[in-house]
Amino acid sequence: MQRIINALVQFRNPILYFFLLGFSLLFLSSRSSFHQNKIGELGFYFSSGLYKFSNSINQYFDLKEKNRILHQENTQLKALALKKNAPFIYDAYLGNPKRFPFKIRNANVIKNSLLNQRNYIIIDKGTEDGVQTEMGVITSNGILGIVKSVSKKYASVISLLHQDLKINVRFKHSDAFGSLVWKGKSPTEFSVEDIVSSAQLQLGDTIVTGGMSSYFPYGIPLGTITQLENDINSGFYMMTAELFENPSEVYAAYVIENKFKEEIDFLNKEVKP
Amino acid sequence: MSSITLKTIASFVILVLSQVFIFNQMNLLGYINPMLYVLFLVHYRFDQNQTLFIFIGFLLGFFIDFMSQTGGAHIIASLSASFFRPFIIRNAFGITAELPKSFQSASRVLNKIVFLLFFILLHHLIYFIVVYFSWDAFSLILKSTALTAFFSLLLIVIISSLFKSTK
Repeated sequence: MQRIINALVQFRNPILYFFLLGFSLLFLSSRSSFHQNKIGELGFYFSSGLYKFSNSINQYFDLKEKNRILHQENTQLKALALKKNAPFIYDAYLGNPKRFPFKIRNANVIKNSLLNQRNYIIIDKGTEDGVQTEMGVITSNGILGIVKSVSKKYASVISLLHQDLKINVRFKHSDAFGSLVWKGKSPTEFSVEDIVSSAQLQLGDTIVTGGMSSYFPYGIPLGTITQLENDINSGFYMMTAELFENPSEVYAAYVIENKFKEEIDFLNKEVKP
Repeated sequence: MSSITLKTIASFVILVLSQVFIFNQMNLLGYINPMLYVLFLVHYRFDQNQTLFIFIGFLLGFFIDFMSQTGGAHIIASLSASFFRPFIIRNAFGITAELPKSFQSASRVLNKIVFLLFFILLHHLIYFIVVYFSWDAFSLILKSTALTAFFSLLLIVIISSLFKSTK
């Protein structure tokens, strides 16, 4: 305490000077609007840097929460976009609201792989969040796979990078349909099989989901045709497609629930001998 | 109350009044108003309490600003000048030599001129920086400082030569 008082006594002149200087600056700014603006600018110049710094720190610590909110928002927007995408397939008849039986939930990918020929993904949503087996999983720019098994809080997903998985696809400008199968090498290089050679196709055509399976709604863009060869002997195209998004680099995913899946499965069973 | 204190108070009042009512209305060459009140800060005894002197410098500027309805430039200039006066005294009159007790009692003319020059330039520079308060007016600040300081210096030298040291 004594030292503090000593220091105060020792530096009384600078202290008095700066105190009076502050007072006179206040006096100055209260009497002259020009100086008030100028001092305000000066203060803003210094404080803005400080605010920017503290804001960036705050934002950094907010990122997780912000990400969650954005992901949730994206889920809603994704549902709207998919609904918009489904113009004719689910239309009941004119004037009726569109039938869109899909419900979308958000999920995060917590394990992913691409080195095997049959890859699996684990997501952080399970039965507690309403995830069931055989639901489709999509990403912001394509699809990711189909849920294989579920635990309480997690679910494993058959990745698109799985050689036995065939996804029903169509083309944006053609009604021909076929299946998308991974070639097993590059995570974005796929082959499209079973497209009849009578279809009018060009290099660069966009491939979308076909909507014929109960997993994915119609019209999710997947990729483009990069190689196209008309094999006359077999009557089918030989085709290579490049995906828009690498399925092994995805962190945010959306699980799609088809509310009419049971009906469709029942009918499928009836048809099969 | 000693006679020195009375004389100091009287000169304070006279300088403030003459600055406000005479020298602030001069407008030499259109815009130059010499600042005679710096004379008070120059002639205030060197061996007095520095803390009190800072406060007196503040009061001097405050009264001039208050009476001439200007912003606060005189306050900041005279406050800063009185705060920095010991440094200028030490540099102008030498560190090793015995410091004079007041401006009047100093004997060497060259040192007195150097002290006056630096003190007035510092005061005027701070004054015009506060008045213009912008980097764009940098050349204008220097020009006004130089011209006004010249007239102030002239005036202060003339007036202080009229009054001989009483000691």
